[in-house]
Amino acid sequence: MTDDLTPSGDDKRPAVESGSIGSQPTQSAPNFTAIDTLNNSHTLNDELALTDAVVLYFTMWCPICDSHMAHIRSSLIPEFPNTRFLIIDYVTGSIIASRAAQLANGYASFTVLADSNQALHDTFKGSMGITVVIDGSGTVQLNEYYKDGQKIRETLASLP
Amino acid sequence: MVKTLLAGATLLSGTSLHAASCCGGGSASALVLPKFSNAMIDASFDIEQYDGFWNRDGDHINDPSGSDLNQYRLNISYAHRLASRWQTSVTIPYTWNDNQYSGLDTQTNGLGDANINLWYEAFDDVTCIGKVTTLADLKPAIYFGATLTLPTGISAFDDVDTSFDITGRGFYRLDGNVLLEKTIYPWSTSLLLSYGKYLERSVNREYGKFVEPYETNLGDRLLATLAFGYTQFLDSMNTITYMLAYSHLQEEKAKINGRTDPTSGFEKRSLALTAAYATMDRDWVFKASWSHAIDRDGWGENFPTTDVLTLGVTHVLY
Repeated sequence: MTDDLTPSGDDKRPAVESGSIGSQPTQSAPNFTAIDTLNNSHTLNDELALTDAVVLYFTMWCPICDSHMAHIRSSLIPEFPNTRFLIIDYVTGSIIASRAAQLANGYASFTVLADSNQALHDTFKGSMGITVVIDGSGTVQLNEYYKDGQKIRETLASLP
Repeated sequence: MVKTLLAGATLLSGTSLHAASCCGGGSASALVLPKFSNAMIDASFDIEQYDGFWNRDGDHINDPSGSDLNQYRLNISYAHRLASRWQTSVTIPYTWNDNQYSGLDTQTNGLGDANINLWYEAFDDVTCIGKVTTLADLKPAIYFGATLTLPTGISAFDDVDTSFDITGRGFYRLDGNVLLEKTIYPWSTSLLLSYGKYLERSVNREYGKFVEPYETNLGDRLLATLAFGYTQFLDSMNTITYMLAYSHLQEEKAKINGRTDPTSGFEKRSLALTAAYATMDRDWVFKASWSHAIDRDGWGENFPTTDVLTLGVTHVLY
């Protein structure tokens, strides 16, 4: 509660060892394999080999998530065509339910990973709207809330 | 909490059930002391059930199948008369989040965002009448108020693990309120207008993770509630008041480091039915209310669709 009653602007990000395996910026993202809602398998390292970067977005199919995903679709995907955007559904619990939510929310064209056991959620410390940017070398460049998308845009634009 | 906005939806609704209208004071849409009373204690319990949401285009989207999302709130309020025309009150909510998805089940609880109110009554005499005989009889009770919302709840910027823990929005907000109320027995009507501005704040943590600090502020908020009521006098002179209210709530887009956040802002329109049983002396009021958001396209934007059942009791001290 005191964090909100007396907000702090101090930078308290903990120092992490660059290159170590982890989910925080400058760390090497742990490789993972996950199944999407069409039963295709996706491995992070394979995705990185084909694209400039991978963006993970954690959704729970809520209005804010919808706003973020609509913004990704309308703004970021056209601007960064060589970046792979993967949506992580960590709430619906099955591929079938995840696919149904994906279609009901109007995101058939997205690749949605069904994180049925919250493995990716736990690995990347995900939560509603958390966005992880992983560059082509597998280094985490960003891991924070989507907000207005500007930080993600700046991060992707700064990648070599 | 399942959705950050949910806390906003519930804590900002302004339609929580307080004193039933009873002659020149007391309102179903705000915690207001009746004229000539000294104090009031109010307790209410909200059962809020989520039923999908409206997206940015106003289209209604269902929650994922197998989900059952609920929030329960216990609201404790105290109002106190400061002078013949001045009164103050405080409301403290305690919140339980109960969210079940087909793949996830969470229960969390915590204090919600409290608020402190100050009201000025722009009238000296009771304005409720039984019959209009002169033009002056039509004069309504007019209140001017200010509400300060305190971020006592658990927000996304607190030391939380996930969004499921959230019970508050994390911002101070100051609202200016105007309440007009008129009763010509057995009919009554009221209009509440509220406009609020949030205070900009620093953020250095999101969902428990420290991030590069930034400044952020939510958009201005508008609430308008129009209500019509009918009071039935029982043989005992106790009363039952039935009220139908329409509310419009909207919040403008937020700012992040001075930039407008295109993914923020919302609208919600809802209807509420209230029944209030008051004793002859109007010192005890028992209330039940059902607030219903229409789960159809066009009744909201970028906001959860919810139904809220509220049960409450008010004790007025004269």
